[in-house]
Amino acid sequence: MVSVPASGTTPFTRSIEDAARAGRRVGTTLVGPAVLVVIAVNILPAFFGFYSSLRKIFFFGDEGFAGLDNFRSLFADPLTWEAIGRSLIFTFGALALAVPLALLAALAVRELGARGRILLTILLVPWAMSPIVVALLWKWILLPSPGGLFASILATFGMPPANLLSNPTWAMPTVIAVAVWRTFAFAAIILTAGLGQIPKDLYKAAAVDGLTAMERFSRITVPLLAPSILIVLSMLTISYFNEVQVIIGLTSGGPIHSTTTLAYQLYLTGFVELDQGRGNAIAVVMFLINLVLIVGYVQLLGNKKGGEG
Amino acid sequence: MAGTGSRLIDRRSALKGGLAAGVAMPFIARSGFAQGAGTVRIWTFMSAEGQSPREKVFKTLIDEFEAKNKVKVVVEPQPFQELETKFVAAVAQKRAPDLVWLRDTFLSLVVDRKGLADLNEVLTPDFKRDALPDMFEVFTQKSVFDGKRVSLPIWPSPAQIIFYRKDTLREIGLDAPPLAWETFTDAAAKLTKGDRIGFGLPTSDNSVSAFINIMSGFGPEIFDKTTGRLNLTGPQAIETANVVRALVAKGAVSKTLLNAMGDDIQDQFAAGRFAMAQAFAPRFQQYQKIAAGYDPKELAVSAWPSFGGRPPAVLLGPYWTVGLAATSQNKEAAAAFLESLYTPAASMRWAKDAGLIPDRRSVMKDPWFEKPEAAVTRNFYELLSGKGAFVFPQRVPDITKIFSVLNTSLQEIIGTDEKVEVILARAKTTLNW
Repeated sequence: MVSVPASGTTPFTRSIEDAARAGRRVGTTLVGPAVLVVIAVNILPAFFGFYSSLRKIFFFGDEGFAGLDNFRSLFADPLTWEAIGRSLIFTFGALALAVPLALLAALAVRELGARGRILLTILLVPWAMSPIVVALLWKWILLPSPGGLFASILATFGMPPANLLSNPTWAMPTVIAVAVWRTFAFAAIILTAGLGQIPKDLYKAAAVDGLTAMERFSRITVPLLAPSILIVLSMLTISYFNEVQVIIGLTSGGPIHSTTTLAYQLYLTGFVELDQGRGNAIAVVMFLINLVLIVGYVQLLGNKKGGEG
Repeated sequence: MAGTGSRLIDRRSALKGGLAAGVAMPFIARSGFAQGAGTVRIWTFMSAEGQSPREKVFKTLIDEFEAKNKVKVVVEPQPFQELETKFVAAVAQKRAPDLVWLRDTFLSLVVDRKGLADLNEVLTPDFKRDALPDMFEVFTQKSVFDGKRVSLPIWPSPAQIIFYRKDTLREIGLDAPPLAWETFTDAAAKLTKGDRIGFGLPTSDNSVSAFINIMSGFGPEIFDKTTGRLNLTGPQAIETANVVRALVAKGAVSKTLLNAMGDDIQDQFAAGRFAMAQAFAPRFQQYQKIAAGYDPKELAVSAWPSFGGRPPAVLLGPYWTVGLAATSQNKEAAAAFLESLYTPAASMRWAKDAGLIPDRRSVMKDPWFEKPEAAVTRNFYELLSGKGAFVFPQRVPDITKIFSVLNTSLQEIIGTDEKVEVILARAKTTLNW
């Protein structure tokens, strides 16, 4: 009498299932600690932040459930809408400056070879510096008095000092420029790696076909670099949208709120005014805006890959 | 019965023993720590290893206390802006230090979070009898909440005061800044010359407000006695705003400093950019040392000008106080260390070596204060003792918000042509007052 396994499995299939189970166990074991860390460091604080946004918390004193009051008062305040607007101006203004600069730097690095790598190393120095140190450094450079470096340079041309950080019109462009100075080299690294993936044969073939340098750039470099550019865009968007240290160090959100972004508003409300309930409400709003932007980029990236496929 | 009797005796013995222990406990505790009991942890903005004059004195006092009492004093320096928040969080987590430096403006908030012990229960009778009455009452009284003394003020100071250069004042025929706003604005305007600006005002700070300092020229009544609020749309606030506008119109205050922090103004003052500036009084010595572009001996201090013939204003605060954590497990030793910071000898040392105003007023009788090097300390002492000296009320609503809101208003007053009434009304709305 031949015994047939009740489940219809054979020793062979069982061994495959066992191997798969063992594989899953190894996978779970390997990924487990990372998941636990993410839960402990990201997920739980995020939930706590959301929970806190629904409570009235001031100076570490929880005064009870507030429902959506923090959000209502936040959106009823015109300063919030202005701060959201300034965050978007800061983010996209910085992107508009940083990405072309990073692309230029990456192209220069590729063209210069070994010397290009030295250039990239030099460009990376600001990125390695603490943002608050960068801010203080630029504050000194831009000091509108005889002690300031920029003022001294202007003085050699017989020009008066420029009050960039004290001028409500110029403060935001100045803060954007400093933020870009600090971060564009990071984007340049990613784009340099992306450029390295483009087969050189394509350029040779294009040259044989008589394409100009500009045409090679627009028809080969840009399309093939698009995934890297999208990665850069998404990473810098999050970075710029959440940028606060450069603003704290340079302008403290002023003059007259002209550099008060949502991130600075969060710092001011949560850490200076110690209105932690409302501060967490701002954090939730920032998270949602970040989420929308990321989803947008992921869609773009997905479509791009799909298109290529 | 015998058994009952023995139980009674045991109970009596136990009661007597307990009573005796209870009576003796405070003395045992004091003498106990003197034999070397535990560690006193301190949170302050100073480091025990720091090299500023104030830190050196602090270190000396710690060393002396440790040698005398065999108690270890551990200083855990914290960023000064975070002392109160970190302390409240630490109290909740039962890991607070024994002693903490706090700004007076935050006292009520920390008291509300039940973070501070009642010092009346741990200070020695000698200290209460000799030291407390010898300190500036305007400061010591602010630390008493509902009969509980929650902290001791340290280094009485006018906080934000006017630093000026005597050499620049001499240029316009004055020895010191005028002490009435009507004449001060004209003098400040005359002091603006070339790259030098007459008067430097910080306009971007989260714990200092030049607007409140100017308004203090109206005296303590600027704070409502019941609510502790400033009347931001009242005639005094409007006149204050008009004074600022006049300073700008006359060129005494520059629009180019629309976004200057207190430190920026003080650093630029040290570099010679201003003839006069709002500055943090305890840093006077430091600014004498880093003065560039002028003789440090020309540096001097002044009270704020006043309005309508009132006494020159000295708004005392924010200033430092030292509190004992409610959760401290070593209250006796911590209180003993606290007391050691206020002995006449310690006060003398703070004054002589660190240029601070002595906490104990009696030490001002020391002949050292007659010497030229003590002239500034004497000057500060006179400012504190003046009729125009007053502190922020114990409870100022929205104290964490008011400075940034009023600094934005100040920026608007300096940098725009908008009506001051509209600007101040907006500040009031922002504060929900």
